[in-house]
Amino acid sequence: MSQAARPARSSYDAVVVGGGHNGLVCAAYLAKAGRKVLVLERRHVLGGAAVSEELHPGFTFSVCSYVVSLMRPHIIRELDLPRHGMELIPLEASFLPLPDGRSLCRWADKERTRREIETFSKKDAEVYPEFGLAMTRLARFAKHVIDQPAPDPASLDPRELARLLRLGRALQGFDAEARYLNFQLMTMSAVDFLDRWFESPVLKSPMSVSGIIGTFLGVRSPGTAYVLLHHYMGEIDGAFRAWGFSKGGTGGVSRAIASAARGFGAEILTSTPVSRVLLEGGRAAGVVLENGDEIRSKVVVSGLDPHRTFLKLVGERNLDPEFVVQIRRYKMRGSSGKVNIALDRLPEFKCRPGDGLHLQGDIAICPSIDYLERAHDDAKYGDFSRRPYINAVIPSISDPSVAPPGKHILSCFVQYAPYQIKEGPSHWPQRREAFGEAVIDTLEEYIPNLRSLILFKQVLTPWDLEQEFGLTEGNIFHGELSLEQLLFLRPAAGWARYRTPVRRLWLAASGAHPGGGIMGSPGELAAKTMLTEGEI
Amino acid sequence: MARAAPQSSTYDAIVIGAGHNGLTCATWLAKAGRRVLVVESRDRVGGMAASEEFHPGYRSVGLLHDTTGVRLEVVRALELARHGLKVRSCRPSILVLGDGSGGGPRLLLSGVPAQAAREISRLSSLDGEAYLKYRAFLDRIGPVLRGFLDEPPVNLIDIESAGIWNLMKRALRVRRLGAKEMMELMRLPPMSVADWLGEWFETDLLKAALALDAVAGTWMGPRSPTSNMLLLMHEAAAGPGIEGGGPALAAALEKAARAAGVEILTEARVERILVDGAASPVKGVALSGGAVVSATVVAASCDPKQVLLKLLAPGTIPYRLEHRMEGFRARGTTAQVLLAVKGPVRFAGATDDQVEFARTGGSLVEIERAFDAVKYRRASQTPILDIHVPTVSRPELAPTGGSVVSILVHFAPYDLEGGWDDLQRRALGDRVVAILETQAPGVTAGIVRGEVLSPADIETRYGVTGGQIHHGEHALDQILIRPAPECVGYRTPVPGLYLCGGGSHPGGGLTCQPGTLAARAILKS
Repeated sequence: MSQAARPARSSYDAVVVGGGHNGLVCAAYLAKAGRKVLVLERRHVLGGAAVSEELHPGFTFSVCSYVVSLMRPHIIRELDLPRHGMELIPLEASFLPLPDGRSLCRWADKERTRREIETFSKKDAEVYPEFGLAMTRLARFAKHVIDQPAPDPASLDPRELARLLRLGRALQGFDAEARYLNFQLMTMSAVDFLDRWFESPVLKSPMSVSGIIGTFLGVRSPGTAYVLLHHYMGEIDGAFRAWGFSKGGTGGVSRAIASAARGFGAEILTSTPVSRVLLEGGRAAGVVLENGDEIRSKVVVSGLDPHRTFLKLVGERNLDPEFVVQIRRYKMRGSSGKVNIALDRLPEFKCRPGDGLHLQGDIAICPSIDYLERAHDDAKYGDFSRRPYINAVIPSISDPSVAPPGKHILSCFVQYAPYQIKEGPSHWPQRREAFGEAVIDTLEEYIPNLRSLILFKQVLTPWDLEQEFGLTEGNIFHGELSLEQLLFLRPAAGWARYRTPVRRLWLAASGAHPGGGIMGSPGELAAKTMLTEGEI
Repeated sequence: MARAAPQSSTYDAIVIGAGHNGLTCATWLAKAGRRVLVVESRDRVGGMAASEEFHPGYRSVGLLHDTTGVRLEVVRALELARHGLKVRSCRPSILVLGDGSGGGPRLLLSGVPAQAAREISRLSSLDGEAYLKYRAFLDRIGPVLRGFLDEPPVNLIDIESAGIWNLMKRALRVRRLGAKEMMELMRLPPMSVADWLGEWFETDLLKAALALDAVAGTWMGPRSPTSNMLLLMHEAAAGPGIEGGGPALAAALEKAARAAGVEILTEARVERILVDGAASPVKGVALSGGAVVSATVVAASCDPKQVLLKLLAPGTIPYRLEHRMEGFRARGTTAQVLLAVKGPVRFAGATDDQVEFARTGGSLVEIERAFDAVKYRRASQTPILDIHVPTVSRPELAPTGGSVVSILVHFAPYDLEGGWDDLQRRALGDRVVAILETQAPGVTAGIVRGEVLSPADIETRYGVTGGQIHHGEHALDQILIRPAPECVGYRTPVPGLYLCGGGSHPGGGLTCQPGTLAARAILKS
């Protein structure tokens, strides 16, 4: 990898700030169209939050983002990512251990799942596949929404009206029942929505939790149900199942995209921090590096979050005050942390001993809905959850390349850990140890000897995610995925089409439609918009 | 009132329930020449707006304090002034008391924005200015929102059924605000009331005072997304309110109904809405005691769960709708404490004993914590009190010199862990009186009697499922499609059977609006 090298030219068609997966996707599409592209990454390694690093000798961690869920199949195809080394390993199961010794595992094998659910509710076991079918149908509609730029209801352009009509027709294609379901999904809380289908709290709890990952909302907060769809997006694409590990860690995805981009002629520099966007006559004319070097370009593309892009790279004084207000009230609100652990051997859950297949998927620590609500309550009042929701994976089981033989990696996504703790965010370093201990304590209720297996541990608080990875307030999705920050309102009304109020500056990351996750869409759609609109 | 039998065995229309929506609907129908019978299970009309004598000589103004939602268009059209109704000159002022400690700042939130702004400026000059802008913004979008609330609902599942012209009209109304405010209007409803008020104001006390109207009666706290929609609905519809509160409204509606020829039968409980079977039209109602009254139209103002799941014979409506109505959320979260007090009630810091409306809640966090309790099926240990002293303007509700204090307590769950019993009721009452004492020192010594109505008691007394004062929770999904796609527009799958209460668009509270729009739908067909 090119370390602190200098750019080969003094001017480009496009400079992309930030080598996260979206910045790289955007660069790859622009380069593929023959544009001269330079990507600048502040860190020594590419990938942003989709990154693999050897934090402990022999152990390669997916430091932040740990599973691939929504990477759009057409992007994989168009950029030919498998040829560049991307390999996805599907998650085999979703395991819920309970403190009372019971457990529920949902498998890729439907019949096996039915038997498991049946021990909690016969009725739910029957409804479960029906629910999956209904959701898969709706996911088809969601695809229309995420695979193109957000509709603009304020526009009077007939082409916009036609787009809205097309969306409307896609919805009208459903029967009334499916439309009502879609309506409920867009308006209800995850728990209220699931209550209409299922009776067993043991099933509802791990299902509901997918509605809140990465948000500062609770499972009973209205507007969380729609995220449940994410779980069913992958199935309709047929390319791979909804959730998977990337071989070699999530950094593997970024590396593949970078390799594709380079293949198309893009130039990528790491350890090259950008200090600001170069403005000339109110237009972006390039970037200024922290070392003072100027690099000129026709367009500047930001792969950073909206706060960082506008308030830091551009600067408030260069923006319309009204737009500044819009960006300031755009909620970042990080709510999660990450604990990465290297283990001496495979851990054993007391409720389901043995090293079976149940550990090859994701492991959810969320024994009840009240438990999740209490975790949320702690965060609402400015503390991390004493008993948090944990989504853990042991990728080393299905991908032995990431750990030495016999050793394992336990990667834990932890919620809630609010950026705004009551002592103030800068006090997070003093709370980091306690936060990590709360996570280990919680896990030990299920894996009694966990502490004795730990060889290495990294605790990332929202503060760390901000400091190290440049995610403002530690928000993993570049901004809360609440209804008022989606579609044509992401990141601000009137600026949801990747263009910004600064001419020739574009936003191509998760703070733009359709939002966060290793999806690639904002980068792809931004690039395609730039190209079709003749900007570059 | 004596138990009576209906004068006739057949009517054009029977209205179930003599609450304010039932009476409104009945009056509209009678004015259009229909022969209408209203049947009410209680011994008085008014439903939740009826006055209750809870101690000899002490009478309440019913369950609901807020009459600002009553539509003046309906008041005018039904000529309620002729029947004794007086509209207030402006929205009532509210004394905002702050947290339960009794210390801390207070705020008199006047119904006149300029006056309110002056008072707010004492706490924060920024907020004083912001308040005027906030009111001006609400005034601008108010007519657009009212358009949606005061017209029949569009079936969002089948929007084409509303007709293209109807849809265009609505779209244009929004578009006319201009692109900027149109986008703003789309951003606001999904938000939490805490987030939106946080964009406007810095003073905790002010934010709490404004947020309470959004979450009162709901299963939401101020941090719940979509609670802002309820604030907008409340503010858009708010008028000056009614002098004398709910009972005055009920009395005027009763007179108007009778004058229009409506027959009202009290102490007549409907056992069953009569239908020959699935897909057959409604035939009438059977009263407890066996009497059968026939009509080709039955309009039910009681809550939709009760109408569709209890009053109809099983199997009358499609299974799917039955399932939906079982899932229709109607969890009560409000309790009422009524106090009979010797002498006046003087709030600390108030210049006189003329405070009619007051509320506690010093911050959004305090309201949020009070809400948290119901998630775990507990009553809040530090509830928020919405206090009304009706005797300030209507001394006749109590013996000479005495006061009635009506307190709506947020939040207390219907499904309290272990259930509601006397012990639980007393514990809640004691907590409420203790908080009141810190705000109005000395009030406890004057209390002659207190009555606690838990949500379970509200269910029993008013016949409303779950003790849910809005006839079904106000929440984004249950407001936009209320109560179910099959019943949007007041119709039901049973021909001739209509819904005309708060469980239909635009929702609960004293508004007269569901009754009015239901009558319009009935007369149209």
